[in-house]
Amino acid sequence: MLKRLTNAALAACFVLPSIAMASDLDGLTPQQLLPLAQKEGSVTVFSLSSRIAKIEKAFEEAYPGIDLIGLDMSSTKQIARVEAEQQAGVHAVDVLYIADTPVVFTKLLEGKRIVNYVPPRVLNELEDRYKAPLLTQRLSTKVLMYNEKAFPDGSPVTNLWQLTEPEWQGRVLMVDPSQRGELLDLLTEIALHPDEMAAAYKAHFGKDIEVEGDLQGAGEQFIKDLFANDLILLPNSDVLNKSIGDVNAKNPPVGFGTYSDRRDNEKEGWALQIANNVEPANGILFPAVLTVADKAPHPAAARLLIDFMFGDDTPTGGAGFEPFNVPGDYATRKTIADHSDSVKLSELKAWTIDPAKTAAARGRIADLIITLQ
Amino acid sequence: MTSLSIFAPSGSRLLRSGFLLPALLVAIVAILVVAPLLRILVTTLTPEGLAAWKAVLISPLSANLWWRPLLNTMVLGFSVGGGCLLIGGFLAWLVVLTDVPGRRFLGLMATLPYMIPSFAAALAWGTLFRNSRLGGSAGFFETSGLAIPDWLAWGLIPTAIVLIAHYYSLAYTIIAAALSSVGADLVEAGQMAGAKRPRIFFGIILPVVTPALIAATSLTFAGAVANFAAPALLGLPVRMQTLSTRLFGMIETGQNERGFVIALLLIAVSALFLWLSDRIVSGRKAFITVTGKGGRTKRFPLGAWRWPLFAIAVVIGLLTTILPVLVLAASSLAPQSGALFSNWTLHFWIGEGGGEMAQGQAGIFRNPVLIDAIWNTIRLGLVVAFTTMLLGLALAYTIVQRKGSLLATLLSQLAFLPLLVPSIAFAAAYIALFGAPIGPLPSLYGTFALLVIAASAHNLPFAVQSGRSVLGQISADIEESARLTGAGLIRRLFAIIFPLAIRGLFAGAILVFVKMVRDLSLVVLLFTATSPVLSMVAYRYAAEGFMQFANAITLVILVVCLAASFLAHALQNRVQKWKQP
Repeated sequence: MLKRLTNAALAACFVLPSIAMASDLDGLTPQQLLPLAQKEGSVTVFSLSSRIAKIEKAFEEAYPGIDLIGLDMSSTKQIARVEAEQQAGVHAVDVLYIADTPVVFTKLLEGKRIVNYVPPRVLNELEDRYKAPLLTQRLSTKVLMYNEKAFPDGSPVTNLWQLTEPEWQGRVLMVDPSQRGELLDLLTEIALHPDEMAAAYKAHFGKDIEVEGDLQGAGEQFIKDLFANDLILLPNSDVLNKSIGDVNAKNPPVGFGTYSDRRDNEKEGWALQIANNVEPANGILFPAVLTVADKAPHPAAARLLIDFMFGDDTPTGGAGFEPFNVPGDYATRKTIADHSDSVKLSELKAWTIDPAKTAAARGRIADLIITLQ
Repeated sequence: MTSLSIFAPSGSRLLRSGFLLPALLVAIVAILVVAPLLRILVTTLTPEGLAAWKAVLISPLSANLWWRPLLNTMVLGFSVGGGCLLIGGFLAWLVVLTDVPGRRFLGLMATLPYMIPSFAAALAWGTLFRNSRLGGSAGFFETSGLAIPDWLAWGLIPTAIVLIAHYYSLAYTIIAAALSSVGADLVEAGQMAGAKRPRIFFGIILPVVTPALIAATSLTFAGAVANFAAPALLGLPVRMQTLSTRLFGMIETGQNERGFVIALLLIAVSALFLWLSDRIVSGRKAFITVTGKGGRTKRFPLGAWRWPLFAIAVVIGLLTTILPVLVLAASSLAPQSGALFSNWTLHFWIGEGGGEMAQGQAGIFRNPVLIDAIWNTIRLGLVVAFTTMLLGLALAYTIVQRKGSLLATLLSQLAFLPLLVPSIAFAAAYIALFGAPIGPLPSLYGTFALLVIAASAHNLPFAVQSGRSVLGQISADIEESARLTGAGLIRRLFAIIFPLAIRGLFAGAILVFVKMVRDLSLVVLLFTATSPVLSMVAYRYAAEGFMQFANAITLVILVVCLAASFLAHALQNRVQKWKQP
């Protein structure tokens, strides 16, 4: 521990002096952070999930004397607000719990508006890609979903290219990717895997793909063909789930939705199921990240909260993680077990997005889908 | 009606009313409206911003990013503006100027639709007309074996109908306020001169309320072009994009510059139409109808038409008020959102938590924050409505006083724009502008004051438009007499103008109140306290997939709006005692 502390201190000498104070905190254990955090007295977090209210209760029980102020707002609003605040020289928020990582990467991380912090306690329990450039707490999905009651023998789709054929014309749904970042990330990810998409094309049609001149790779060709096959765009996932999952449907459509929405099957009368056996992949895993705002007014409490939100050593993650531990979402921390009634993370056929790579390719795909609409 | 203050007898008075108020207003509008707009404009002048201008206007993307959405938006704007004028105007005439039966009931029904969020009207449309395009459970007509074509289930036509159903009540509110100031003596004079009923209507009543008609049309036009929920729910499935869905999408996917460019262009286009409509009004003579005398309203006997017209009004009310409310109520009672009319339960309202229902969530009336949220919502709505109306009244007064002058045109144009600025851009500009201390002034960041200022600016158009439509009718003689007896501007405002214009003011105040308590985005972006308002509570439920609870909260908001509206009516009658029969 002491060694790690020294390392951290050494590292701090090489970064900007202005954040030396904060980075001294980076190596501290929760026990060491606690008195400092209690002196600070409170911590403010912007959260993409309203379940932050449950975290507030658990955190304040675990660490009395620190008032957690949780404000839930969408990732887009968080980014807008942090940018505007920091431009005005206001530093009021400590922690962001946020998705939309490609935008976070370009607007906040590259703009030095946030600082990446990895709690030492979980350092060895996370894969490297979940530690940098942004600390990932859990992964959510946008994957191909189908109706398991209408298709009891399993998914009717086993290769993405099927979705471009007449059989699925006007029967593939997706929340409009020009309206929602996650779906734009999904299409971007498909475009970023041209070789796999070309191989899947060959496997399905038995011939090599011919990509049109103005497109780059088989992934972009797929996007164009999908739109041309009357892909139906929707305003929100609620409409999508109802349309795909309706238990009474005879010949329901398929679509790209959220795996964890399955947990509402019983409540809503849906029969949503993941199509996992799909070539080359069934969709994406995308991160929800925890990050410290630049010049956070409560730097120690901010780090203590992030540490807390990675849960304890039990398989469920305990009070700090349980509110987010739902079947169909995945903890990045290896000690937290996957849910028994959902596909294991290692067996899920989805690509995990890389915020930096997605950010670089996203603009082109955004433009492409505008021309296709 | 131009003020000839140059010839005013005393220099100090000239300073007091002729110059000081307009100067102050110009400063306020500059800070509240022009500054945020300029800030948004400046962000589009960076290299990325200039690229965005190019992408939107002259690139392969332009057609789908700007021109087609613009066309859709304008078609929506004009059809909704026109439709609202016809329906709102018809109902206002019926309720205010005729002896139709059940006038109070009809008037109540006509004010309601605006209080029901537009997504409810879109949902109601879906329950009737949804076809099999998306799969899932079809609407009422398809289930009864009637095939609904795509153009009737999705796209421009249903969006326009739903928006008319939502916004006509806004037109009704404003036009009814203006009609109630058409005195009986005017109409009787016409009748004595032997004018027939159509002649009286088109020759006397219509010209008198023209400012109100223009105000109503411009507000509903702006509402329609800025509305996001209806075009998103009904348009996206057939790939219909409007400028509002494009704008939302651009900001949501991190392409802010493009979003801002679209917003600025939309503002420019709308401002152009507004200016044209202003020209139409200021080109005519003003009609003075509020003279402080009498003020009885003359009702036309409808004769044989009483019941048929009543029936038409009731049908409009049923379709636009009762049906959406029913759908909302059903969706707060039905355990499954796909089957709205089965297995109703009150659990989502009053159920105890911890059971099988709704993952152990208790009903909304057992939510400890609900009462707190109701009070916060009311407080916020009242404060914002009050400040907005005060500012709006002063602006409207100046605009009417100096009708036709450059100042008036400028002020009225600027006061209208905030409606069209996306709230996320508006709020971000406010934080950036007022978050830092300015000179001796402290930073307003995170204060209730900042929220009120921003919200007042954002809702200013309602106040100014409804104020104008009534102030334009108030006779200058009364004010002149008061001025001669030495009454100052403030005194005149409160003793004369305020009581005479109260109906219009309250009409505006209700519109502001309703918009404020329903609108979430400004609150979320500008407020740091964790004391929630109702719309935030609804958002939390919805975010967790508990739509029933969210819809129940929406109904609570509706009740709050209704109560506010009743209160306004009661107050109005107390102030205008001379109107009592």
